[in-house]
Amino acid sequence: MSRNVKRDILEKVVEAIFLICALVGVVSVAAIIIFVFYQGLHPFFGSDAYSFWDFISGTRWAPSEDVYGVFFMIVASVLATLGAIIIGVPLGVLTAVFIAEIAPKNAVKVIKPAVELLAGIPSVLYGAFGLGVIVPLIREISPEVQGQSLLAVIIVLTIMVLPTIVSLSEAAIKAVPKSYREASLGLGASKMQTIFKVVVPAAKSGILSAAVLGIGRAIGETMAVMMIAGNPTQGLPDSIWSMVRPLTTNIAMEMSYSSGRQQEMLFATGVILFVFIMIVNLTLIRLTHKAGEKDK
Amino acid sequence: MSRKTKDRLTQAAVYGSAGLTVVILVLIIGFIVIRGLPGINLSFLTRSWEDETTYILLDTDLTEDAIQAGTIDELGVTLTEDETGLLVENLDSDSPLKSASNIQGDPFEVKTGDYITRATEEDNGQLRLRVERPGGGIVPMLVTTIYMILLSLLVAAPIGIFSAVYLIEYAKPGKIMTLIHFAIENLAGIPSIIYGLFGCLFFVRVCHFQYSLLAGALTLSIMLLPTIITTTEESLKAIPRTYRESSLGLGATKLQTVTKVVLPNALPGILVAVLLAMGRIVGESAALLLTAGTVASIPTALWGNAASGATLTIKMYTLMKEENDLTTACAIGIVLLVIVIVLNFASKMITKKLMSKKGE
Repeated sequence: MSRNVKRDILEKVVEAIFLICALVGVVSVAAIIIFVFYQGLHPFFGSDAYSFWDFISGTRWAPSEDVYGVFFMIVASVLATLGAIIIGVPLGVLTAVFIAEIAPKNAVKVIKPAVELLAGIPSVLYGAFGLGVIVPLIREISPEVQGQSLLAVIIVLTIMVLPTIVSLSEAAIKAVPKSYREASLGLGASKMQTIFKVVVPAAKSGILSAAVLGIGRAIGETMAVMMIAGNPTQGLPDSIWSMVRPLTTNIAMEMSYSSGRQQEMLFATGVILFVFIMIVNLTLIRLTHKAGEKDK
Repeated sequence: MSRKTKDRLTQAAVYGSAGLTVVILVLIIGFIVIRGLPGINLSFLTRSWEDETTYILLDTDLTEDAIQAGTIDELGVTLTEDETGLLVENLDSDSPLKSASNIQGDPFEVKTGDYITRATEEDNGQLRLRVERPGGGIVPMLVTTIYMILLSLLVAAPIGIFSAVYLIEYAKPGKIMTLIHFAIENLAGIPSIIYGLFGCLFFVRVCHFQYSLLAGALTLSIMLLPTIITTTEESLKAIPRTYRESSLGLGATKLQTVTKVVLPNALPGILVAVLLAMGRIVGESAALLLTAGTVASIPTALWGNAASGATLTIKMYTLMKEENDLTTACAIGIVLLVIVIVLNFASKMITKKLMSKKGE
């Protein structure tokens, strides 16, 4: 065999290896979806099937009595996420405005690393902070006896989604062409008017992506939330002082010692969470692609 | 409201938000450090978590009564008595205790800080000592964390880097490329608890790895793919086309161009990808809780019964949740913070160097 042929074969083989590596991601997504859905939907089929309606509308989780309702967990996850986004988005966008538009260089040198560090702090540490600071504070002012509450979860999740929202919004604001600002200022608008009437609206789609990504983070967060949610086994929350049990913590709390039907139900909880995540993911992908097309 | 007051108000809101962000960070770090600092000391950083008891045999003329508080010249050791037993306070460098062996005949080195809690004479004239080594240290978790980093990167780094090379250097826009990107974007959005569920089902059960290093590391490898692929892609994209064109023009093959021109130039970016991935592994908890278990000792196998091990984050979690020990948890938190800050700093330095090089 001539050297050239050998070389050509090597080229082809290596390219095939690269392709196989690139396909690992695809296979992984498929495997995750198939395995989690298969295991999670299993208890709702067959002779001993559990009613899916009872599962999705139930407000009590009592594995010892074969009662598995997750509606109160769905409500908890949704409320906690909404709360975190409602506080986190304005806070994050304003911080991003500060970094991108207003701050002197020295201030940027402090606040940008601070945001980056916040993003890198492991979630267990946020849990410790919540448990050691937020929960005792809430216990002081709450009408309930315990500090573990929806409010505690919202506060910690707000802090956790903040870095995502700040850095993505900052990038979006920075990407707004300079001419927009110049035109606005030239027409006699003040700096603040320019920022909030021209620049931020122009960065809208980027900020929207940031918010959606934040929703994904918040709804999937587990370890920090588990420490401060209280995790009751039944009941819809009736105020921000109530204890809650989000979907994620239900899985993490019981997985290690569960088996049989109970474990399948934990996977079913995972399926519900997964459906939420898929909606978030697809929205995000659509948003970013739209933005990408607009750039072209 | 006049335009001026409106401006002032919005400005105040902007400054206030930015200030609040910094205050939150200071509060979190301050809390962890203040709460955890009392728990940090040398034995916390150097010892095993569980107490260990070992019996050692010594060839010596000493009787069991000779083992008591004070200096024992024959053994080159100074002992002091407290409620636990006789504390080894000082050891000479040539002390026979340093080269002792346990009952199985394996070498065992007595260290300062150990306790001798019983001495008995054996029939053959040897002296049998019960040595208790107090635990309370994080060494097993540190080692498990390092194992987890190495093992996950060993799998995820090549796959991730090769994927990025394929996507940037080989793939033509089309269905396959869209599919791969779609998959990666989705992987990036899946929360770690779902990875944990999958790992628990697939690696722990189906593959029979049980709660183990390997099950944890393989789960993490999938989780890391998006980070490694997108960061590597960015650094590959940043390499000017002319580099590739001149290499190809000189008669190099595609593969030669990739290995000799593209990858070396992308190296700093790839390093940043690896550092980012390390940060994720160190901070990860939910996925590992469901795949690697919570045992506080160094795993001695890759899979199976002896392979379960808690990383630092997992131990921190169990300390808070099950043992109600916030001080020790925050002490581990300090260690985690230090690691995260170092990784953060390192990747920043590399990026900075990269930027200044480009500026030339």
